Amino acid sequence: MHHAVLDEWSRRESALHRRDPRAKTAALVVFLIVVTTSTHNFVVLGPAYLGMLVAGMAWARIPPAGALARAAVVLPFSLVFAGAVALAGDPQRAVLLAAKSYVSAAAVLLLVATTPLPALLRGFEGLGAPRFLLMVAQFLYRYLFVISEEAQHMRAAALSRGGGIRAGRTRFRAAAGALAVLFARSHVRASDIHRAMLARGFEGHFRLVRNLRFGLADALFLVPAAGFPLALRLALGGGV
Amino acid sequence: MPMHIPDGFLDTPVWVGLNVAALPAVGVLARKAQKGFDHSRTPLLGVMGAFVFAAQMINFPVGVGTSGHLIGGALLACTLGPAAAAVTMTAILAIQALIFQDGGVLALGANVMNMAVCGTLAAYLPYHFWGRGRWRRAAIFLGGALSVLVGALLAISELLLSGIPMPGAVLGVSLGLFMVSAVLEGAITVAVVGALEGMQPDFVHQPSGRRSYVLGALASAAILLSVVGVLFASANPDGLEKLAADVGIASRAKTLFATPLADYEAGFFESPWARKAGAGMAGLVLMFGASVLLGRFGKKRSV
Repeated sequence: MHHAVLDEWSRRESALHRRDPRAKTAALVVFLIVVTTSTHNFVVLGPAYLGMLVAGMAWARIPPAGALARAAVVLPFSLVFAGAVALAGDPQRAVLLAAKSYVSAAAVLLLVATTPLPALLRGFEGLGAPRFLLMVAQFLYRYLFVISEEAQHMRAAALSRGGGIRAGRTRFRAAAGALAVLFARSHVRASDIHRAMLARGFEGHFRLVRNLRFGLADALFLVPAAGFPLALRLALGGGV
Repeated sequence: MPMHIPDGFLDTPVWVGLNVAALPAVGVLARKAQKGFDHSRTPLLGVMGAFVFAAQMINFPVGVGTSGHLIGGALLACTLGPAAAAVTMTAILAIQALIFQDGGVLALGANVMNMAVCGTLAAYLPYHFWGRGRWRRAAIFLGGALSVLVGALLAISELLLSGIPMPGAVLGVSLGLFMVSAVLEGAITVAVVGALEGMQPDFVHQPSGRRSYVLGALASAAILLSVVGVLFASANPDGLEKLAADVGIASRAKTLFATPLADYEAGFFESPWARKAGAGMAGLVLMFGASVLLGRFGKKRSV
């Protein structure tokens, strides 16, 4: 599963993994803005941006080939729209759109592949995102596996009962019933989780094993990580 | 067929503007969703978000050999209420953008406005007004369909505003697909809400049935923001100019995009239709955001 691999990558050890999530998030945002606003010379800039990301992946000791392949999930959407743009008579722009979306996706991937999600979300909280929303996102991520597995079991059960064979009203209602059951189970699970949390003295936020600390190393990381793509873009990427 | 816009597609004013609009909207909705509940609300919303993800694995047969799945905004609005549904959808979009590279990070504000804020509010409106009487099933169906249509049309209009040219044929085909998936979402939502009520009625959120304030707020916000929308769209004419050049879109999109606010444009532009359309869509974006805010504040006061 996609997120299982990411989860494993994000828990490895490297200098990039150890950087404060806020520093990495700031570097990502700068990088994404640089990519999306580059209008000229993308033939040179695109590979250069991608090169930086690959260097980051190698530094973080995550396999660049695997990470780049994973970033390709963005392509079905971008290629459809790029195709439309090409049909409208602007093939250059079509390539640019697809390339930008791919490089951006690879950059996001590098961030989540070097930062465990709880630490990342805690970093967002430090940057001012509403805590309630982040807690919801955190729970969502934690129970994604569990609920998905339940859905897979239900699907396998329905298929083995012959549910996949014919379309029709009955089958539609059966699927709706299955979703309703999944909903009810998720609901019950949520209240179980809540009781368990209360029993363990939950006080409103998750704790990290290690508290966030924005140190000198993070500042030193941020300067080239944000500055290098920015300088490249200002030098070659056309008017601001 | 949800439309998650990736990074690199939107023009800088478009994604910046939508992020600026999304931040306060989500902030207010988050506070509203949290209100009156202790921490029990957090696991519920999170697990329900996971449920929406997992629900994509349950296929609904559409015709021979094809199937669709639930998108979820309307179902969440009917069960958790609109504010909680919007927060849950926002969390879903954030996780999709971060972990699954489905939708961009800079474009997150746009996707949140399209699907989580406007889509969910649009899904809830018919349920709010007609969710109690004999039109209940129709209201739920309409909500499901609207959640998909509003999200998709906003996304398309943002892409057009960003100057991404789309030939008329492509636009026509995608609008057709959106219609199909809107009808499907409506049908799935009705069926699942019905099944849930058969199982345990308190899973489903009952609409309060208060009418006046929210509607008034919506109407005044529409007028106010259509003006703002005109200014916004005319300040950003590049994409619109290119859009106007393509006559193929014009005939098709005019009716769809321009009708909601066209009447408010009081002729102080030489009004190529594209400006109207752009103004209408931009106004719609702002209107939905503001009506969420106004609606929330209005409700709070009347309680």
